[in-house]
Amino acid sequence: MLLRGLTWLVLFQLVGTALNHLFLSILPGPIIGLVLLMIYLMIRGEVSEPISLAASSLLRYLPLLLVPPAVGVMVYADQIADDFWAIVGSLVLSLMISLTFAGWLMQKLIDRQSSRREPS
Amino acid sequence: MSLDWQGAWLSVIHHPLFGIAITLGAYQIVLAGYEKTRWVFLQPVLVSMVVVIVVLVSCGLTYVEYRKSTDILSILLGPATVALAVPLYLNLRRIRQLFWPVLTTLVIGGVLATGSCVALGWLLGADHMILMTMAPKSVTSPIAMLVAEQIGGVAALAAVFVLITGVIGGIFGPGLLTLAGVQSPEARGMALGLTAHAVGTSAALQEGDECGAFAALAMSLMGVATALFLPLAVSLVA
Repeated sequence: MLLRGLTWLVLFQLVGTALNHLFLSILPGPIIGLVLLMIYLMIRGEVSEPISLAASSLLRYLPLLLVPPAVGVMVYADQIADDFWAIVGSLVLSLMISLTFAGWLMQKLIDRQSSRREPS
Repeated sequence: MSLDWQGAWLSVIHHPLFGIAITLGAYQIVLAGYEKTRWVFLQPVLVSMVVVIVVLVSCGLTYVEYRKSTDILSILLGPATVALAVPLYLNLRRIRQLFWPVLTTLVIGGVLATGSCVALGWLLGADHMILMTMAPKSVTSPIAMLVAEQIGGVAALAAVFVLITGVIGGIFGPGLLTLAGVQSPEARGMALGLTAHAVGTSAALQEGDECGAFAALAMSLMGVATALFLPLAVSLVA
């Protein structure tokens, strides 16, 4: 079951990689694969057991998979140290501003939509 | 007779499985610590990263060697990205209902996330290369690396900035959103995925399925939008 689902996910990514090479060099293969799997699920109208099992197992370990690329920080220690405050300052401030703003905006829009739908 | 302790030690730390061993070990210890204390600074990705770096440096191993031995984990990132289609699909109905809020937040929030970072970096005196590398910091690393290279940044550094952004978002994001009075899981997920990509999404998944679905949605929309429009915007400005 798990293997069959995993095979599907890998196949979708490989098709995505082929499309990436042929037409869409701007979008990486996995993202094209995500869109393709999405379209496939919409056409089928349900998530089959193997795909659902493979997806939930992989996603549970997503943080673990992100550790190796994260360790790459050690290679760029010097460049980061040179512009340290500019980098950290702009990354942190910009994240805090945009994250808070995006959440606030979305909340306001949801509230407005639901109050409009409810019969007053 | 004396045993060759040093030789044994060297063959252990240079074994291809050593990288996997310290990654798995560090991750599980940190995760156990996080679950016990629920202390926000024990962000699993960040602390595991620190632990792994400390082990590598004290054993005198290079990143290249570590990266090679953990290739199998990095390869799984691709299918894991594809797998995000599943929570996205399961919440499609809810997402359709909120189509306009999602689109509006994506456009305004996305422009703000990218623009504010470049503007702040410029004000704080970072040079052009660094600015162009920081611009795509809110999207997943494969897209960010591609885009950074296209607009005159450095791909590998982009991955680092992406990660710093994600980690800060994962640590402070949920608290900031609560402070700002953002309660609905849709809005929290949207904000986390939009600005803090995969790390934000994994923080959102911890809050619940619905929150995670919106984070995955926001992450992929932001990724696609950045890949398409950021190079265009930079070429118009320059």
